[in-house]
Amino acid sequence: MKHSLLALTLAAGGLSLNAAAEMDTSYYNDHYCTTCHGADGGGSEGVQAPRLAGMEPWYLKRQLEHFRAGIRGTHKEDFQGTEMQPMAAKLSDDSIADLVQWVGTWKYMPTPVTIAGNAEAGKALYATCASCHGTSGEGNAALGAPALAGQNDWYLVTQLQNFKAGYRGKDPQDTYGAQMGPMAASLADEAAINNVVSYINTLGR
Amino acid sequence: MSHSVSRREFMNLLSATFGTGALIQLGSALSLLPMTAKAASLSLAAPMPGKGKVVILGAGISGLTVAWELTKAGYDCTVLEASNRAGGRVFTVRSGTVIDEIGNRQVCDWDNEPHMYFNAGAARIPSTHRNLLHYCKELGVELEMFINESKTAYMQDDNMMGGKRVRNGEVSTNVRGFLAELFAKCYTTAQLNEPFTESESEIILGLIRQFGDLDRNKMTYHGSSRAGYVSGGLLDHGVEKEMIEFKNLMKSRLIGNTFTANEGETGPMLMQPVGGMDMVIQGFTRKLGDKVIYGAPVVGVQIKENGVDVAYDHDGKRHSISADYCFNCIPAHLMTGIPNNYPEDYLTSMRSIRRGEAYKSAFQAKYRFWEDEDIYGGISWINAPISQIWYPPQGIHKAKGIILSAYNFGGGMVFTKMSQEERVEAALAQGEKLHPNYRDVVEKPVTIAWHRMNHMLGCSARWGSGFSGWTDEVQTLFDRLQQPVNGRHYFIGDQMAYHGAWQESAIASAHWALEDMDQRVRSMAAQA
Ligand SMILES: Cc1cc2nc3c(=O)[nH]c(=O)nc-3n(C[C@H](O)[C@H](O)[C@H](O)COP(=O)(O)OP(=O)(O)OC[C@H]3O[C@@H](n4cnc5c(N)ncnc54)[C@H](O)[C@@H]3O)c2cc1C
Ligand code: HEC
Ligand code: HEC
Repeated sequence: MKHSLLALTLAAGGLSLNAAAEMDTSYYNDHYCTTCHGADGGGSEGVQAPRLAGMEPWYLKRQLEHFRAGIRGTHKEDFQGTEMQPMAAKLSDDSIADLVQWVGTWKYMPTPVTIAGNAEAGKALYATCASCHGTSGEGNAALGAPALAGQNDWYLVTQLQNFKAGYRGKDPQDTYGAQMGPMAASLADEAAINNVVSYINTLGR
Repeated sequence: MSHSVSRREFMNLLSATFGTGALIQLGSALSLLPMTAKAASLSLAAPMPGKGKVVILGAGISGLTVAWELTKAGYDCTVLEASNRAGGRVFTVRSGTVIDEIGNRQVCDWDNEPHMYFNAGAARIPSTHRNLLHYCKELGVELEMFINESKTAYMQDDNMMGGKRVRNGEVSTNVRGFLAELFAKCYTTAQLNEPFTESESEIILGLIRQFGDLDRNKMTYHGSSRAGYVSGGLLDHGVEKEMIEFKNLMKSRLIGNTFTANEGETGPMLMQPVGGMDMVIQGFTRKLGDKVIYGAPVVGVQIKENGVDVAYDHDGKRHSISADYCFNCIPAHLMTGIPNNYPEDYLTSMRSIRRGEAYKSAFQAKYRFWEDEDIYGGISWINAPISQIWYPPQGIHKAKGIILSAYNFGGGMVFTKMSQEERVEAALAQGEKLHPNYRDVVEKPVTIAWHRMNHMLGCSARWGSGFSGWTDEVQTLFDRLQQPVNGRHYFIGDQMAYHGAWQESAIASAHWALEDMDQRVRSMAAQA
């Protein structure tokens, strides 16, 4: 299937500059997420890109919009976030809707445990978190808090570190991040972060 | 210098100062250097009946090597390639090429002519890369010469001579003059009496004089015609360029490049395939035909007792293939995101590999402006993130050419993190210091941030973290990943060689795996 570049630019939104070459749009579309997020969005530790399979559509959409607008992933110390941000920068609304639909076709698969922390100690810490993220870490759409159970543990650790350090959640427009920031700040140190994530690992999915 | 210098010490000093070229010249006379090994020639046994199905993951040059060798031996090979082209990091950009950088796709619209191409990944073939050269010969890939160092190209550093660009030849001549004078002062005949004889000393001092073009009697340096003339030289007496004081040149760390650029693996003769490095890849794919399936990302690898099952997507559907053997050159950091049943220690090795961040970019030049400045190839060096400008040795005297506008192998993230517009502006602003009219004479930029290239996301594999280098721990991780799983699944590519970022290394890893498999097949056949 060949289209002119112009049509393609409108369709895929992802092409820069140059003029009148022809290219095959059936191959070059916005479905490039799996190179980083792993086969069927199962998460890829090598690229530090988390599991997308099984993610709530509303949360996925919001994160893509936040990345696109630079509300998330623009702090220069946010090493992983700045990897993701340019991937969303050129997505159109239609493309985001299409991606949410596509990601929705992937079946959730369990993530491996890679963090060694004290889950017992983490359980006590998780009490605070449960009010928004749910007692089983299942998330709460009404509060805008995503599921935590079943997410890659190394990713959860990065997020808690980044919220705590102010690399995520500090943009004036990031109202949801603003709720989460102080919660991460309440985790005293690295050990507390590992402990609470170890507890989340036990919640299963 | 109060103690006498042994041969070995003297040679170490020589090589540290003058580069390995001097060492080789002297060393081979004293026959201390090892000979290079012969090109490996494989003689693989035919498959055992009903045991000849092979699946190769990734059409990198290592995967293609395996597919070609095993096809010749009678195996039934399938190559699964995620991208719609083969070659991976062997990638040539020309008119119409899509540069599949995630988040920043580009289409190349340069003039469509055979010499108007850019090797965005591998670009140089050293004379000693015998296995790669062997395949070029076997596959009918025509080669031409490539040169790394041009004496007429430039060096520029804001810290050196007020930021003025200086010809490489002027830098090397004056640096050598200074060093030779230094050597001559240190190595008087008296000091060299032991352990060198008088006649040996004479030879060495002669060498030092030649090295720096020193004054014959006083062994001092006052400039040299090697740096080029300001004017004349043919029908008028030549006016030599004025000598540049070493203390002015030493302000730049780049000056050592004039010694290293032409040594070791980047020393002459280098070669490149006529028409682009991907001619090597096309050589393989012509032979393999529809054994290579494009647009077929692997999404699962399950190793069984007597074979390997592989799942892949193609034409919007999920497929699976069962094979007796599997060879895998998918980059390790991507493989960890693909469901598998690898042993835990195998995975641990894979996870330990970090990815590199090489960056290259290029422009179409509206005319070959460098030829007007006596430059016909080679590299200009600059102390700025673009690091280098390469002038194409192909297409000499034609109307236009493709010029490499940046090559940052170790620190490419500076550019990767920029938008396309920022990358282009940075290349122009920095390149202007080498060629004042640069902005007006180049157009149609392409940028290749390997860290973001689809299905690659890096170059090249980094074993070991930080500057700790190759530790025992890293060795253990490497050794584990080199061993096959169940004798059925081999992890290959330049990521499985000690000397990353060379096609020869990727081929060597393929040969290692093939020979290991072949031994197992032969011993099984003997038992059967
Ligand atoms: C900037 C740069 C400069 C270089 N300069 C030189 C040089 O001058 N000379 C030289 O000899 N070498 C050079 N190299 C190194 C050379 O390019 C590499 O060493 C060599 O090409 C690596 O080959 P490989 O077999 O390891 O596979 P790679 O090239 O790494 O190929 C891996 C393949 O796997 C595919 N793949 C990824 N994911 C999947 C999946 N899920 N399913 C199926 N397939 C998948 C990829 O698309 C790719 O085709 C350079 C490299 C770079 C980047
Ligand atoms: C170049 C690699 C890369 C590509 C391509 C990529 N991502 Fe990401 N993505 C990442 C990384 C790394 C992170 C983790 C960011 C962090 O740790 O803050 C991430 C994070 C995310 C998140 C946030 C998850 C969460 O729980 O908040 C979403 C959503 C996401 N990516 C969706 C996508 C989609 C959809 C695509 C395809 C359009 C895509 N990504 C393409 C690397 C990538
Ligand atoms: C007041 C409600 C609230 C509480 C309490 C809370 N969170 Fe959150 N959390 C949120 C919201 C809202 C988000 C989504 C932020 C966004 O959209 O960027 C979030 C996001 C996160 C994320 C990032 C998830 C992802 O996929 O990127 C993690 C990890 C997290 N919370 C962990 C915790 C932990 C651990 C605690 C307890 C210490 C906690 N949260 C307490 C509201 C809360």
